[in-house]
Amino acid sequence: MAEALAGAATGTAAPGRLDASRSKAVRRFKWMILSPLLLMLLSLLTPVLLLQLYFSFHQWTVYLSSWWNADFVGLDIFQSVFTDPRFGWAVLRSLAFAGGSTIGCFVLGFSLAYLIYRPFRGQALYYALFIVPMLTVPIVIAYTGQMLLDRSGPLNDILSRLTGHDIQVLWLSNPDIALLTVTLLDIWNWTPFSFIIMLAGLSSLPKEPVEAAQILGASSWRIFWEVQLPLLRPVILLALVLRFLDAMGSFPIIWGLLQGGPGTATETLGIYIYITTWQDFNVSLGAAQSYVTMVMMVGIVLLAIRLLRREKRSLDTMYAKPQEAEETA
Amino acid sequence: MTGQSLHRRRVLQGGLGLAALGALPLGGGALAAEEGDTIIAAAKGIGKTELKAIMWSNYFVPMKGPIEEFEKATGIAITGIKDLSTPTIPQAAMAEALTRSPDFDIVHVGSEMIPSLVSAGYLEPLDEYMHKANYKMDAVGDYANLATYGGKTYGIITDGNIFVHQLRKDLFEDADNKKRFEDKFGKPLAYPKNWDDDFQQMKFFHNPEKGIYGSGNLRSRGFGYVWFLMYLYSFGGFPFDPDMKPTVSSDAGKKAIAVYLRDKEVAFPDSPSWGTSQMIPHIAAGDVYSCQYWGGLIKLQENPAKSKTAGKWIYGAVPGGEANGKPLYRAAGMPVVVLTVNKNSPRKAAAAYMACWLGTEKASSQIVTDRVNTFNDAWTRKEMTDPRVLEAYTPGGVKAIQANLQVAAPNIFLTGNQEFVDVLDKNLGQGYLGQLKADEVLKQIDEDFAKVVKRIGTAKLKKDYETYATIMPKATQPS
Repeated sequence: MAEALAGAATGTAAPGRLDASRSKAVRRFKWMILSPLLLMLLSLLTPVLLLQLYFSFHQWTVYLSSWWNADFVGLDIFQSVFTDPRFGWAVLRSLAFAGGSTIGCFVLGFSLAYLIYRPFRGQALYYALFIVPMLTVPIVIAYTGQMLLDRSGPLNDILSRLTGHDIQVLWLSNPDIALLTVTLLDIWNWTPFSFIIMLAGLSSLPKEPVEAAQILGASSWRIFWEVQLPLLRPVILLALVLRFLDAMGSFPIIWGLLQGGPGTATETLGIYIYITTWQDFNVSLGAAQSYVTMVMMVGIVLLAIRLLRREKRSLDTMYAKPQEAEETA
Repeated sequence: MTGQSLHRRRVLQGGLGLAALGALPLGGGALAAEEGDTIIAAAKGIGKTELKAIMWSNYFVPMKGPIEEFEKATGIAITGIKDLSTPTIPQAAMAEALTRSPDFDIVHVGSEMIPSLVSAGYLEPLDEYMHKANYKMDAVGDYANLATYGGKTYGIITDGNIFVHQLRKDLFEDADNKKRFEDKFGKPLAYPKNWDDDFQQMKFFHNPEKGIYGSGNLRSRGFGYVWFLMYLYSFGGFPFDPDMKPTVSSDAGKKAIAVYLRDKEVAFPDSPSWGTSQMIPHIAAGDVYSCQYWGGLIKLQENPAKSKTAGKWIYGAVPGGEANGKPLYRAAGMPVVVLTVNKNSPRKAAAAYMACWLGTEKASSQIVTDRVNTFNDAWTRKEMTDPRVLEAYTPGGVKAIQANLQVAAPNIFLTGNQEFVDVLDKNLGQGYLGQLKADEVLKQIDEDFAKVVKRIGTAKLKKDYETYATIMPKATQPS
């Protein structure tokens, strides 16, 4: 009896210990794989971040003294960042630019991916064509854009021919339009990025839910809206977050095309920080601006991770329910 | 070229020893050394040296001939460049300065960066080398002063950037236009002497429907401020007083901003975003009645192979303003692109002599008359009578360049130039777009300038101010 009890005890305890030991081994393996990378990242990032932090608290006038002799000014530089209306406007413009670009890239990228995700003859050709814009160097896009978007350039010409009216939109010189113009160019440049992610997402969707819906007589629209789209939510979120973060730091197109002008119409965060640091050589203010931006971006990333986890959990639950139902049946 | 080299070698063999000992000038006798021989004599002892420069290739290519010549004579050559556009060189130069890097020996940069780069400990004064090589920058008027700071020379000019006023000869001399103008304004159509005359004519000829715009002046970021400073100076204004208190909101400032903003009435609607690369084709195509522009444009638009308007322009002194009841002419002389020498370079002597060599009339006339790479412009006195220069720029163009060089006014010549320029760029841009009123623009510039002054240090900038005030042209109008 005692043996039987002991055996029963061992029988229940052994898998527990095994699981614990396995998960410990997995954890150790994960750390083993990750630690060189983390170490490298830390050794590269830490000095930069520390130096940047130093500059944010020390006013260094580059022409007059060495950086290690800069005056400690406490939070003065951060205060000037937060009270600088130009910085505030740069944040707003960046949010507008990144938001517009993210949405535009997503809508177009997803549409293109949906069009070609099912295998067909010539699919590879379309795929190659659709990713060409992303392979174009942004600075080249800026210069090409300059020619295309001239008042008497090809774009206005095409629009004039199509509408039968003489259209002379000042794509680059009108401060009310300039930000939209650079946003559109950014969308053209980066739509392939969203396209690739969404195509991967669509291609990896399980076939069973769609087939089941088809058997039940659901229309294509309902299949898309009620089956595919919910399943794609984590991928969509990933595409949106990655594109948004990238667009927040966008620089070459705007700089190459307008240098933040006309006036300050396209002066986004990247442009303003560049002007502060590398044109004005105000390294301390630039460092503080970069820190504030970094904190903002980290906030966005944390929010995105949280949302992604939530999406993953809801997907897990969605998959788990039919499985439970099957098991119960 | 070969003939010149042989001749030089013969002269060197004959009289260079004496020349190097300071026996020059020897007069016009047979022993007289060619210009530049004293530089070769001073540099020869250094031996074979490979120099590296930060320079835009557009500027560098026409220098290759004179550099090869110097290499043959001394063994010193510029063998590599970091090819950056001139507007981006200040950033690269400052990065070099902050790291005390000895990597680059020569930096080809706008002279307005001299105060900042000297303050950062990057530039070598060139006076001693110039003295040893018996070299003097023989510029028209006070133009060479724009390469000095604190009484020392820090740059050798290679590009005589100066504004020239130009207007369409065919429209201006048309009898019908002359009559219409006189009927309308009750005065003959004459070359504009002041900004009001200029605007009146631009407005008269402004006819976008026929593809003619009154003005080809620039108003975009990175360019517009050059015109504003020229207007400000021409009304007797100056951005600061001797105590470094910003003074843009002065009467002169008010007049300057009025001239700056009214250009919008006669400009291309695209002007808020147009830089040189967009505007030049329109000027050369004849879409513009008049403008003030860098003299180098003359070489392009008078080249029939590249321009539809060769022979159709009148060139002259830029219109003037008025100060203390007298006319005052100030032509924008910015950027004066100069060869500077890195103080931290172990090859700084070789670099200094190379710079001097490229600044000789002999080398410079070769450089500035290159018909393909037209970035370097004439600036020495002798060039103004050189047949090759006269051919490239036309006699009228050379006369205009010479006139304007006499009243060449600098960019903001202070440590922190780029910061001051950014303040101008931002506020003038907003004013031009109507986001700020004229008086708000001036007030904002003064407020922003005051912040920059405070950050860099009033005491430091007060010293810089002395140079800034000194390098302003002495002449009130071209002779």
